Amino acid sequence: MSTLSTQFTEDLSKVRLFSLYAAVLFVFIALLGLFTRGLNLGLDFTGGYLTEFSTERSIAQSDMDKMLSAYLPGSFQVSSAENGTYWTLRQADNVQNTDSKIWLTEFAQQNQLNITPQDSMYIGSQIGEELINQGGLALLTATVAILLYLSLRFEWRLAMGCLVALFHDVIVVLGVFSWFGLSFDLTILASLLALIGYSLNDSIIVGDKMRELMRANDKNPLESIINAAIKSTLVRTMITSGTTLATILAIWFFAGESLKGFAVALFTGIIVGTYSSIALSATIPQLLGLKADHYQQKEEEILCDLP
Amino acid sequence: MNQPINRQHHHRQNRWRNLIILVTLTFMLISALPNLYTDKVKLTLTNSGEHQQQTTPKYFKDILAQANIPTDEIRVSNDEIVITLHEAADQKFATESLKQQLADGYQVTSSLTNEAPAWLNAFAAKPIKLGLDLSGGVLFVLEVDTDRAQADRIKNIGQELKAIALENKIRAVNVSPLNNHALTVDLTRASNEAKDTLFPQITKTYPELSIKKEQEHKYLLSYTDEAQQTFRQETMKQTLKTMRGRIEELGITEAITQKQGKNRIRIELPGVHDPAEAKRIIGATASLEFYQLASNTAGFGVIHIKDENGRQLALNGKAIFSGSNIKNAVAGRDDMGQPLVNLTLDGIGGKKMSNFSKKNIGKPMATVFSEFYRNADNQMLKTNKIINVATIQQHLGSQFSITNLSSHQTAQELALLLRAGSLTAPVTIVQQRSIEATLGEANIDNGIKALTVGVSITLLFMAFWYRSLGLVANVALGLNLLSLLGLMSLLPGAVLTLPGIAGLVLTVGMAVDTNVLIFERIKEELKRGRKTLAAIESGYNNAFTTILDANITTMITGVILYAIGYGAVKGFAIILCLGILTSMFTGVFVSKALTGLLVRENKAQLLGVKS
Repeated sequence: MSTLSTQFTEDLSKVRLFSLYAAVLFVFIALLGLFTRGLNLGLDFTGGYLTEFSTERSIAQSDMDKMLSAYLPGSFQVSSAENGTYWTLRQADNVQNTDSKIWLTEFAQQNQLNITPQDSMYIGSQIGEELINQGGLALLTATVAILLYLSLRFEWRLAMGCLVALFHDVIVVLGVFSWFGLSFDLTILASLLALIGYSLNDSIIVGDKMRELMRANDKNPLESIINAAIKSTLVRTMITSGTTLATILAIWFFAGESLKGFAVALFTGIIVGTYSSIALSATIPQLLGLKADHYQQKEEEILCDLP
Repeated sequence: MNQPINRQHHHRQNRWRNLIILVTLTFMLISALPNLYTDKVKLTLTNSGEHQQQTTPKYFKDILAQANIPTDEIRVSNDEIVITLHEAADQKFATESLKQQLADGYQVTSSLTNEAPAWLNAFAAKPIKLGLDLSGGVLFVLEVDTDRAQADRIKNIGQELKAIALENKIRAVNVSPLNNHALTVDLTRASNEAKDTLFPQITKTYPELSIKKEQEHKYLLSYTDEAQQTFRQETMKQTLKTMRGRIEELGITEAITQKQGKNRIRIELPGVHDPAEAKRIIGATASLEFYQLASNTAGFGVIHIKDENGRQLALNGKAIFSGSNIKNAVAGRDDMGQPLVNLTLDGIGGKKMSNFSKKNIGKPMATVFSEFYRNADNQMLKTNKIINVATIQQHLGSQFSITNLSSHQTAQELALLLRAGSLTAPVTIVQQRSIEATLGEANIDNGIKALTVGVSITLLFMAFWYRSLGLVANVALGLNLLSLLGLMSLLPGAVLTLPGIAGLVLTVGMAVDTNVLIFERIKEELKRGRKTLAAIESGYNNAFTTILDANITTMITGVILYAIGYGAVKGFAIILCLGILTSMFTGVFVSKALTGLLVRENKAQLLGVKS
């Protein structure tokens, strides 16, 4: 404790309070985006046809748009990647469509393009509806299971801090997807669930340290205990988040088009999660009136359980 | 006092621990090794024909080269020819080309072998199964309309009741379906004994049916909720079996067929290039039934179906027997060269046919081909087509043939469908995906690239930041990846997908966390003035609860993801969960053993904190 100067404590407290307000603001902005713009749901959730193909030479988006609209009877969305050589075409479920392999070859011949089909997908719209329900159920189950685990493991104020941080992380990542109009598909949902795990990881480690310090020094004010906990876990948090972010960047840049959204979700999620573990999960218990002696009693109970 | 004994005990414990770690890691290494070798398809050609002619390897190489199929090895011996293909994905195509080019005498069988050396094969270790997004292939998700099957079952029961009434000369039996799982029987104007004859007979065939008296002389025959559920499960089981049979008939060996959710079936066909053919066979809901032509067109339970000439035919509502009684079906040609399908019936079918044909020589019998399809409004409809009406010439047994088929291909497809079993419930394709093999390869390449970069950054950072202990962490990380690969190869249900590779890369980043937590803890203990060995011991012990806490939450989400996810997402969940297990094993136990070794060699300095 002695190594912790009062100046540092005051600074860290200010930072925490400031970032708490910032977190509230972020959640507000994210919710605004979600309610006004919604999510750009991917094929997994909406159903329909998806055709991916590559062209030998690069083609401008507008040219491809023109060629396709001359050929395809129904409405469609087309997007390009890798300098206009990799194309993703989306059509709704009820659109008139011929067998994808045949029409692509015909289309290529008609426009004198060298097209290689890559991936073609059809998902019925009823599956999409089900997936939304299932995905929501998964998020809910995960949250409830984690809440149960947390309430068994921690005092309720600490658990609440972790939980608020968790919601904050998920909402902000969803907000990023909404504001930037990124496609939200099944892999993103999977990464959100993984994120729930990781987000708690940081919060729990800070919480663990707080618990340890509270048991050891019940005389110190809570403020300085929290700050000490943050300080002593800061190096670990930075290293772990750093290496994880580095590997996610590797996925982002090298693993190809189909994992980009996944990488974006995890990248923002880890940044937001790291930040919220300090701004929210450590600060909220303090606002809820956590005191060091809550753990003095708790410790005795735990001592009986432990072998 | 007890100090020396304690130390000795401790020492022995350590030795045991190290031995267990060593055995586990060796086991993982052996399990992971087959991944270095690729799977190869071997085609074996045997000549069953009498006139054997000497062939040269070049002859086969040319046949395959014409079809653009590269070969690794061709061995020609007296009685068989073994061809090893370069690409496993070419298996089906190569078999077809060979069959087309070679005389009928040859039989082609294919087998999948791993190139691994013999001693490795002795362990029966297999490489990781690749998901469709990595291997290329076709995915179908089928929806089984169990409600429709239930409704059909009720309709059948109704018809059977009428038939029983007719046989026993009971008049005025009024049957009307109520909904898809119940029907009402009105016996108001029937004789009093009617129900004593009717109901025991019907429950003999359908024991799951429950009979309830609604009013005087009015009865409700229904499937209880429980019976409905059993019926649904049975239907799904039968459909799955039929699908597996059909896929086997198509000659696809590495297919995955599994139930998805309550009434869906997921079929993954790796290495299939042309989804159209597979789709026609898998998606077909064809069934075949044989009916007697009704003598009285307006009679009891008569159904009307148009034949190909537009003629309306009246059939007796109850089929003589159905496709499920067919034991074998082979396409062939008659003496005139017309296509036909030769059928062999099972015991029940044969008996039904025998009884029926004996009584009805000289009378016509119709073969009805039914198919389900979805219309524009997404409603399931059934079309019935009469493929032929034949006069029964003689007393038929369990073997006879269906003629009047449009082409030899139709005959072959019909035979295939009948062989593989017909479906009692209509199925529709609700999801389809075909991934080119080249995209799969590109995905693997990209995945490996991302993994290499991710691992390199992490290794470099750890070595730079923690110096000698960083080396421990790095060795642990390498062993972690090895164990993860080994576990993935070991578990029969584990499939590697592209999100799975992302999970693998992510695991690397996260696995470091375990070591970082421990090392930071050791640093803290050292700063408090503990001796190196004591600091290491308490560092590992104290950090363990925190590590457990932090990993359990990720484990919870991983398990939930595994439970609800399918395909690629499931692949991600598997890696996530296994990665936590292996990183706790290598991060805590293995690196503790390694640190022990390191410290014994170099006690002077650790983590930049002098002890």
